[in-house]
Amino acid sequence: MAHRLLVRRIWTLSAKDIRCLKTSTVTTASSSFSTSLQSATPRVSFLSPSRTLPRSLPHTSRREVSFNVQDHEDFTERVINSELPVLIDFHAHWCGPCKILGPRLEKAVAKHKGRVAMAKVDIDDHTDLAIEYGVSAVPTVIAMRGGDVVDHFVGIKDDDELDSFVSKVIEQ
Amino acid sequence: MAALWRGRHRWKRTNCLHVLTRNLTGKYDYDLVVIGGGSGGLACSKEAAQLGQKVAVLDHVEPSVKGTKWGLGGTCVNVGCIPKKLMHQAALLGTAVKDAKKFGWQISEPICHDWSTMADAVQNHVRSLNWGHRVQLQDKKVKYLNIKGSLLDEHTVKGLTKAGKETILTAKNIVIATGGRPKYPTNIPGAMEHGITNVALECAGFLTGIGLDTTVMVRSIALRGFDQQMAGLVTDYMEAYGTKFAWQCVPKRVDKLSSGVLQVTWMDNNTGNEHKDTYDSVLWAVGRAPETKALGLDKLGVQLDKETGKIVVGADESTSVPNIYAFGDIGEGRPELTPTAIKAGKLLARRLARHSAELMNYDSVPTTVFTPLEYGCVGLSEEEAEKRLGKDGIEVYHAFYKPLEFTVAERDASQCYLKVICERDGDQKILGLHFTGPNAGEVTQGFALAFQCGATYSHLLQTVGIHPTCAEELTKVNITKRSGLDATVTGC
Repeated sequence: MAHRLLVRRIWTLSAKDIRCLKTSTVTTASSSFSTSLQSATPRVSFLSPSRTLPRSLPHTSRREVSFNVQDHEDFTERVINSELPVLIDFHAHWCGPCKILGPRLEKAVAKHKGRVAMAKVDIDDHTDLAIEYGVSAVPTVIAMRGGDVVDHFVGIKDDDELDSFVSKVIEQ
Repeated sequence: MAALWRGRHRWKRTNCLHVLTRNLTGKYDYDLVVIGGGSGGLACSKEAAQLGQKVAVLDHVEPSVKGTKWGLGGTCVNVGCIPKKLMHQAALLGTAVKDAKKFGWQISEPICHDWSTMADAVQNHVRSLNWGHRVQLQDKKVKYLNIKGSLLDEHTVKGLTKAGKETILTAKNIVIATGGRPKYPTNIPGAMEHGITNVALECAGFLTGIGLDTTVMVRSIALRGFDQQMAGLVTDYMEAYGTKFAWQCVPKRVDKLSSGVLQVTWMDNNTGNEHKDTYDSVLWAVGRAPETKALGLDKLGVQLDKETGKIVVGADESTSVPNIYAFGDIGEGRPELTPTAIKAGKLLARRLARHSAELMNYDSVPTTVFTPLEYGCVGLSEEEAEKRLGKDGIEVYHAFYKPLEFTVAERDASQCYLKVICERDGDQKILGLHFTGPNAGEVTQGFALAFQCGATYSHLLQTVGIHPTCAEELTKVNITKRSGLDATVTGC
């Protein structure tokens, strides 16, 4: 079953079109997938193919627009040590505004395909991480480059504001 | 150094000196360890940290019989005041929608309520509060540990994580603020397996309000400890509102039938007959009790009240063991309210940090019962006032009023009532104030301030009312019970 989902995922990702809708579908599917994976086998993450899946599918990690942070190690590997600048979306399932900002962020990140990545952190699952980065209200978005925090904002932003935020982070 | 002249008992003084010496050598991990992350525990730990103490707060929720758990914040935030008030609001909105038609709104009937939408929304808010508390502890530099705390000795706390890992913490002072949990009846077969628990009238009220067929089974009286005339008005309104009451009935057993429904067998003490009926859910609201056994208090010699199991505390929240304090719901004789726990916690922290000597004042605590017809009060009940001063020593001013909002809505206001119990002589100091009506909590809060300042009946008469409100009726009250005159307020 996992394999079948996997195949479907790769097919979606390898499609050149990264429209907003497709992107959010991918993310939603991936988040539900990783959640179900989490409950079945902790620490197994589809989105770290280098760790768990056959080596023949490494291209998926380069193509992914956003991913859910699994744990501290994962955060270090894919956010702090990322070659690309990363936007960290601290969110919570009980937070209404987060549900609005999430898709908007994905859209903004997708526009700059390949030049910025987005990490999603559920603050209830990763409370220590959120506290470490001084998150008090959600949504909080922190922009990181080479392991350093370069920018951040709290609350909702509209599409234009997000666009300029992401552009600024990339240009730095 | 303050300890030298502050101590009330000699042995305590020496102990304090001892403690100070030990602290100077850095013998304790913390200045203060608070067991319990509820309204009281959080307030106490944050205040202490703010005053420069090294504080840790331990919070742990023992799963209920059905396995329910919740986050940081204690009873009030997770399974008490907050969800209660939100669900009460949900029910009130249902009534408001029905009234709306009379005010011109074109609403297609029938309107129905979806439980999971409400439950999800309430839970989301509760989660945001859990998070908010977590952030606050971080901001105020309080060490938070999600572990089950118990006492090993008067300076040592043992913590147990979910995984079973043990931690030992030492502290100069230990505060117990673990509150209480709902009781399950022990002598009724099937009670624990098939029932859940909560605050009776308020729950029955909002459950009726959202459209569920609800019955309250009362062993003897409703709202024990409250003014009984007011309690009667509250339950009369609920009965008119649609809640069923089974007075003087005691459940005997609960069985689950093959169809999945619960069959309750009870004894009607009015008639002496036994009855059976089926229900989808059974809620036990038979009182709350502290979980003192798990705390290891008996081993330390912390004195507990034999009847309630709560910790016997002094006016300064001290227990029978030096350096161990207890407050909030777990204190014997204390009101089971969040605001008193918060205030007592803050004052205790100040005293422990040698910042002040102020004690918590537990008199004149206002409160409100959020039943469909809300009831707010501050001060003595009429029964208590009569007991203390005699029927001739008091004057009770009362009135039946009709909220303006009820008129167009054609709602029955027979139970909207207020009374001000005063001393009969002199300035007629107000001893107690009682009010049933919409927004009773909001109405009572302001009058609680007046009460705190020693308001008299003449003060009340001097106060100009705000019009048109329900609260203004309190400033206009002039018919006494003694006169026997009709207390119904006529229009302005």
